[in-house]
Amino acid sequence: MAKQITGYVKLQVKGGQANPSPPIGPALGSKGLNIMEFCKQFNARSQDKMGQVLPVLITYYSDKSFDFVIKTPPAANLLLEAAKVKLGSAQPNLKKVGSVSWDQIRTIAEIKMPDLNCFTIEAAMKMVAGTARSMGITVSGTAPWQA
Amino acid sequence: MNYYELKLSVSPGFADIFVAELAEIGFDSFVEEDDVLLAYVPEDQYNEEAVREIIGRYEPLTGPLTFETSRMEKQNWNAEWEKNYPPIDVEGQVLVRAGFHEMDTSGFTHEIVINPKMSFGTGHHETTWMMLAHQLEIDQEGKSALDVGSGTGILAIMAALRGAKFVSAFDIEEWAAENAGENVGLNRVENIVRVRQGTIETEPAEKYEVVLANINRNILLREIPTYVQYLTPGGTLVVSGFYEGDLPEIQDVADASGLELVSVKTRNGWAAARFRLV
Repeated sequence: MAKQITGYVKLQVKGGQANPSPPIGPALGSKGLNIMEFCKQFNARSQDKMGQVLPVLITYYSDKSFDFVIKTPPAANLLLEAAKVKLGSAQPNLKKVGSVSWDQIRTIAEIKMPDLNCFTIEAAMKMVAGTARSMGITVSGTAPWQA
Repeated sequence: MNYYELKLSVSPGFADIFVAELAEIGFDSFVEEDDVLLAYVPEDQYNEEAVREIIGRYEPLTGPLTFETSRMEKQNWNAEWEKNYPPIDVEGQVLVRAGFHEMDTSGFTHEIVINPKMSFGTGHHETTWMMLAHQLEIDQEGKSALDVGSGTGILAIMAALRGAKFVSAFDIEEWAAENAGENVGLNRVENIVRVRQGTIETEPAEKYEVVLANINRNILLREIPTYVQYLTPGGTLVVSGFYEGDLPEIQDVADASGLELVSVKTRNGWAAARFRLV
């Protein structure tokens, strides 16, 4: 018999850094789930994305068991990372005037594709470029579809 | 570690951007609710000025934003689960139970009592189970052992019950070190097991015949060469906390450190490997 779903918890946690503090502790603990089990599993499954913010959707069941899905990092995080690489870590406060290339936008769009409602990479790139604009990050060069 | 909770009123369209910005200044986890972003940061990394700087930068686009912070005292968030869980049987030989379990323990060679208090190591996780199973196969009688990242202290206690004459255990978490101390007392092995808060860097330079480390792949890859410095020639290293697929990488580092693979256990995709220092 299929296990009965009791509910969902949605969090964003840095890869490899889950610990029983808030929000994980209170969010899962109040449901009677074993927080330590979640942290061990999450940290192992995100060990190749250390320090990246990862949305995680936890499904929990009536028998206090759970499973979870880790999504791709938010486009905003990937953009900040990309802009920082270009600027160099010596100027962290200048990231607001950072810029990224269309190649970087494409790379981010490719990472995000599984979680976006986009049918084409071009549509995904436009979404990512929109987020960049909101963050004050300029996209240098001409968009591939305008070239 | 106490945490600060930052409650920021922000439209959903900007929530991801604030997550990214706050992650850059030490915030490590987030919850998005309708028009509110909750962000969490360890107390010693909270910098209100940096938060104001970020908000100030986006207000021209978002309109005025308000935020409040509250300090969240550390407490045992896992208490609900810990109230009622099943005991663990390892290979029909070890019974790991909590103080509240009242049961017939005859038939088991070893009985370990753990009251976990939000620390890792109750035997429920595959890696703990396999570490204990490995320990059943290692001669620890009269030997010394080191437990790296001891959590509840379960592996250190097991070493003592298996006859070790001295066990040193440490955990980076103050909370876990305290809990391990309590569990050592519950199992009446306080004359054998010494627990402290710290890391391998602060471990006194001594040699051990057995080193136990149930942590994770990344830390093991980095620290296995250091563990070897604490091993006597012919000594045993048992490691876990990684997936079966990560074993080749672990083995490469172990090989390069002069270790020889003795045996591997796997359970639901997790692995635990036992090495001998050649």
